Amino acid sequence: MMTEDLIVFDHVSYTYDDEETEKTVYALKDVSLTVRQGEFVVVLGHNGSGKSTLAKLSNSIFLPSEGKVFVRGMDTSVTENEFPIRKTMGVVFQNPDNQIVASIVEEDVAFGPENLGVPPKEIRRRVDEALKAVDMYDYRMHETHRLSGGQKQRVAIAGMLAMQPECIVFDEPTAMLDPKGRREVMQIIRRLNKEQGMTVVFITHYMEEAVHADRVVIVNDGGIAADGSPVSVFADREMLARCGLNVPEIAEVAYQLRSRGFDVPGSVLTEEALVDAVLRLAGKN
Amino acid sequence: MIRDITIGQYFPGNSFLHLLDPRAKILITLFYIVTLFLCKNFFSLFLLLAVAILSVLISRISFRVILKGLRMILLIILFTAALQIFYNSKGTVLWKPVPAWKFAVTDQGIFSAVFLSIRIVALILFSSLLTYTTSPTQLTDAIERLLSPLKLLRVNVHALSMMMTIALRFIPTLIEELNIIISAQKSRGADLDSGSLLKRAKALVPIFVPLFVSAFRRAYELAFAMDCRCYNGEKGRTRMKIMKLGPRDYVGFAASAILTAAVVVTSYVPLSSIFIFESVI
Repeated sequence: MMTEDLIVFDHVSYTYDDEETEKTVYALKDVSLTVRQGEFVVVLGHNGSGKSTLAKLSNSIFLPSEGKVFVRGMDTSVTENEFPIRKTMGVVFQNPDNQIVASIVEEDVAFGPENLGVPPKEIRRRVDEALKAVDMYDYRMHETHRLSGGQKQRVAIAGMLAMQPECIVFDEPTAMLDPKGRREVMQIIRRLNKEQGMTVVFITHYMEEAVHADRVVIVNDGGIAADGSPVSVFADREMLARCGLNVPEIAEVAYQLRSRGFDVPGSVLTEEALVDAVLRLAGKN
Repeated sequence: MIRDITIGQYFPGNSFLHLLDPRAKILITLFYIVTLFLCKNFFSLFLLLAVAILSVLISRISFRVILKGLRMILLIILFTAALQIFYNSKGTVLWKPVPAWKFAVTDQGIFSAVFLSIRIVALILFSSLLTYTTSPTQLTDAIERLLSPLKLLRVNVHALSMMMTIALRFIPTLIEELNIIISAQKSRGADLDSGSLLKRAKALVPIFVPLFVSAFRRAYELAFAMDCRCYNGEKGRTRMKIMKLGPRDYVGFAASAILTAAVVVTSYVPLSSIFIFESVI
């Protein structure tokens, strides 16, 4: 169904000129990809694979050199579509410090809706709601620079939520966070997807963060190397190795057990599932 | 290191001062400063100081914070006071250490030293309350509104206020980064604290170059982030907090007017000679 297709990349290439070699370099080459409403898509790839370019192409910050990107059927290369598209597609970047505009939490969250011309009372309501959704409501009057990395990133997410987008693209939002901050942010993102039906495109190089996704897309050398359920993608060990990626830890343990003759299913990707499988084995013996 | 900067910081709260319209606060503060310079005798000076202290009490901002702010300007106060004592040779000579020198400590000199010190303390007390009780965004919004007549001269007031907002937002971030760079360079053996002035100035180059590079990178990323949040200048932009003058603000204006009137009367009107306080400056 066409209406369910939120983002469509139609044979998209993105090139830039390398300053040193003065050659045209393809960051993305002939990429076709469709993200459907309500999906949780994780985009994996090592550094320089082109995965971050994908984020900036999705809300017309970058325009494709070849091909087209459509958001809800709107062409990103049409100037008039710029604002409707950015309203539909929120983007959260890697460095929380560089996307917070105001010094006070609630004033930063209000920045987006203020730009959209939302009436003051409605802004207040949206800001409170967004802050509650990321568990930062109690911090609404705090100074942004005093927050931890995870808290800052949650404020950045709230800033996007207050604009009421249909989809949020996360461009390595956890890369600069400590493990605690990473857990907090992951938990919030999963909750947004599960409870509010927010479409999530999550770009990362942490394999562990991909196991809960509906769909995993592997980007390598500016192209898509794999696209499917986490179980099927992580089963293809050769392809992962070719893309310079490791199998998630738990999947690796399961694989090693399996190759030693234990009956551990290939669908095991999470700690809980692994514990279950091992307990079942222990029960049998 | 440069960590405990309290000037320009904001302390959220619900006091009378916090709830005043930021535009009213700016105007009242400007008025207070002008009055402070109109004031000519100790009576009106103490009145102004009392008002400053009363305002601190009303704002419910802890005195520890206030004192910390004052400590930073202690040097300026001491310097000003010393200058007055050394160079003001009017009045009766109290002490002349070397008869051949022109230098002498006079009663007038001491008076004016004390007078100026109190004046600076009152100035800092009152004006720092403005930033202590107003969030940076509200402050810059208020400046934008107050400067809006300049739009007639085609000055982009909104851009100015946005720049101020971002500058205030990034000051702590850049200070933090500066400290990290200093530590990093020190750990590589950079010597920042010894040698001639020129040598120390040169040692600052490897500190400021990375800081500038990083500031530009931040600006670049922030521009993307602002684009993503549909920032399009002033066009079609609304505000979460509406600025509206209320009864509270009129009370503030009235108090401010009464204070100025009292100071002017006691300083300039001959009637006030009934006060025993002499004009010192």
